Amino acid sequence: MKSSIPLWQRSSVRIVGALVLLIIMGGAVGGIYYTQIPPEQPIPFPHNFHIGVGAQCSYCHTGAATGPNAGLPTTDKCWGCHQQIEPRNDNLKLVASYGAEGKQIPWVPVAIQPDFVVFSHQPHINAELTCETCHGDLTQMTVAEPQKGQNMGWCLDCHQKMSTPEEFVLLSDCATCHY
Amino acid sequence: MTELLAKEAHDEKWGMVIDLDICSGCQACVTACSMENNIPFVGEDEMAYGRGMQWMRIRRYWEGEYPEVTPDYQPMLCQQCGSAPCEPVCPVFATLHSEVEKINLQVYNRCIGTRYCANNCPYHARTFNWFDYEIPAPMNSYLNPDVTVRRRGVMEKCTFCVQRIVKGRQQASAEGREIEDGDITPACAQACPTDAITFGNLSDPESRVSKMVRSDRAYKELENLGTEPRVTYLKGGKSYGG
Repeated sequence: MKSSIPLWQRSSVRIVGALVLLIIMGGAVGGIYYTQIPPEQPIPFPHNFHIGVGAQCSYCHTGAATGPNAGLPTTDKCWGCHQQIEPRNDNLKLVASYGAEGKQIPWVPVAIQPDFVVFSHQPHINAELTCETCHGDLTQMTVAEPQKGQNMGWCLDCHQKMSTPEEFVLLSDCATCHY
Repeated sequence: MTELLAKEAHDEKWGMVIDLDICSGCQACVTACSMENNIPFVGEDEMAYGRGMQWMRIRRYWEGEYPEVTPDYQPMLCQQCGSAPCEPVCPVFATLHSEVEKINLQVYNRCIGTRYCANNCPYHARTFNWFDYEIPAPMNSYLNPDVTVRRRGVMEKCTFCVQRIVKGRQQASAEGREIEDGDITPACAQACPTDAITFGNLSDPESRVSKMVRSDRAYKELENLGTEPRVTYLKGGKSYGG
């Protein structure tokens, strides 16, 4: 006998539909979540501690004032100080092992832009912006955390606030960031 | 610092002069352009389908009757029209006029690939990414980090090496000076072995390009269409040109 219940009212169809919806939404939420959390680093580098002992940002991220990329430090830079420090815990031992073997630490970049956006640190440093304007308060972070909402509107907002209308013509020009 | 950046920016009108008398048609500019701007090599078959990807190409004309023929060459690239036919037809404002650089821009992340702009371009200067072309090793290591690697379905064209313009401007501003003539050289002009290509600021009457534009030999391609091209050709000793 043919069932008289319409297709969309059958419990089996509804359950399957709900499951499919849940899986899709779960995937979307998960995908967004993974772009918002700090990626796993080879060594959980404590920014707060290094700033606390007086290291300047530009000591390790040397390129910011002169070029597009601030850069990540090489093992030599770490080893310069760390070979004089007793490896008290596991992380320091990791640093020591990289340093002793002369291998590069595979740091994962956190503050990244998509390929179609060209960002250069140099003009921003020249305009006397501080690092925490965009990268957050690193004295409160261990590993660097991606900052939320760094989209084009956020860039333009700041450009508009920091400039006169004449300057904003250049600072809002497409070719300033996209080419 | 930004004041200086902005002040300079408003005066510049970039232009190019190509002297056809000394152009030997060697294609060095085409190669340099492809390398600078991460243009993929599509191969013979795709080229035959008309899907070649070149921001700059050498048009060759034969002069005389066979067998006494001599070739004439004319490098053709985006003319960065002051009144560009490509711009008003774009439905998403992916191609638009830069107020600062006064050149035509192509914003890749806006482009939805209608190809209307290319069909409206009288110079056939625009190329379309029909596929995601694989760049074989070791060429993938030569990609220029300053330029976006375009993906399938995006229109592209000569930008007057806008990445070099931006870099030159940032450099000049960091050194606290104005951009000087010759500070900015696009890849084609840099590679040209006979220095047939000159690039500079047209609004500065003393720049090299401005002087060359005032030459008697100067003409602009398809000027009668009212596109106001920013590329000026200097006629060669032969009969080609306007």
